[in-house]
Amino acid sequence: MMLKTLVIIPAFNERECIENTIKEVQSACPEVDLLVVNDCSEDDTADILRRLRVPFLDLPVNLGIGGAVQAGYRYALENGYEAAIQLDGDGQHDPRYLSEMVKTLENGDADIVIGSRFLEKEGFQSSGARRAGIRFLDRLIGLCSGVVVTDCTSGFRAVSAENIRLYAEDYPVDYPEPEAIVQAALKGARIREIPVVMRERKTGSSSIRPLHSVYYMTKVSLAILLLRLGGKRA
Amino acid sequence: MSLTLQLSMIAAELIYFAVILYFLKKKTLSLKYTLIWLIGGLVMLILTIWPMLMVRLVRLFGVQDQMNGLFSMLFFFILMIIMSLTSIVSKQSDKIRSLTQETALLEKRIREMEDISEGKND
Repeated sequence: MMLKTLVIIPAFNERECIENTIKEVQSACPEVDLLVVNDCSEDDTADILRRLRVPFLDLPVNLGIGGAVQAGYRYALENGYEAAIQLDGDGQHDPRYLSEMVKTLENGDADIVIGSRFLEKEGFQSSGARRAGIRFLDRLIGLCSGVVVTDCTSGFRAVSAENIRLYAEDYPVDYPEPEAIVQAALKGARIREIPVVMRERKTGSSSIRPLHSVYYMTKVSLAILLLRLGGKRA
Repeated sequence: MSLTLQLSMIAAELIYFAVILYFLKKKTLSLKYTLIWLIGGLVMLILTIWPMLMVRLVRLFGVQDQMNGLFSMLFFFILMIIMSLTSIVSKQSDKIRSLTQETALLEKRIREMEDISEGKND
């Protein structure tokens, strides 16, 4: 028997892709439940979700990716899920890895499983500048928490019941992925990556736009360092 | 400090207090966040009435020029107020985020209950 699993799909203006993503998840892994979190989309994403009759949360105010994903974790906690997987609504993340991710949790090999596109360097690899930024953050995370990661910005990850609770209570805002790793690691979570092939996003744009990259790197680095300082005290 | 200057400053401070009290009465300002402005005004008033206090205070900090001392203190005070505002904004955005999520979770439950009851009526 597989862990009772919820796939959380944050969606902001994903009218082009959301239907396809949902159908892919349902056919790749029919035994999991899925929850789309519509982050106050300005397009007709909500109508599509209503038509497809999939379970979804409709945030009345746009919260950004962190707040949207956290709403999903809160739902998972309220409904007693044993595992939760976040998967972007834009088609970057291939649902065929879902069962492998859940199995890794199930075997007790890890508490958080991250899908990394850099372990086997296959598929869409992002631009050179971005890869350099990600490598820097990977090292910083290693330094601050001892966790070895290769793709700390990947939003494709599975977490155990214990970490569902952690994230439901406290999840970073803005650019949450790298911070969330450190946060869980300092609480003792074992983090493991599995190689995945990511596709180039079909629509929309990355939440990390070039103009914001300086802000992004500064904010995330500082947040990680602060977590480390706070973690020592705890 | 000349008496005229002292009087006009006191008048200005009274206007300052009147404005704060007016907003408090109209409830567009809550007392919790206004306290710091009231205390600041009180300090200004005291220093206007007894300017020698100011002179001594400024010397204590090793500032030569009185006016420079006054400006530095003002600047520091205003910085503190702005920082406390940033802290209030941060706390509020946390609360708004939590409320937004809670609303969405409840809305989903209501939506599903309505779907079920509609189904029964058919």
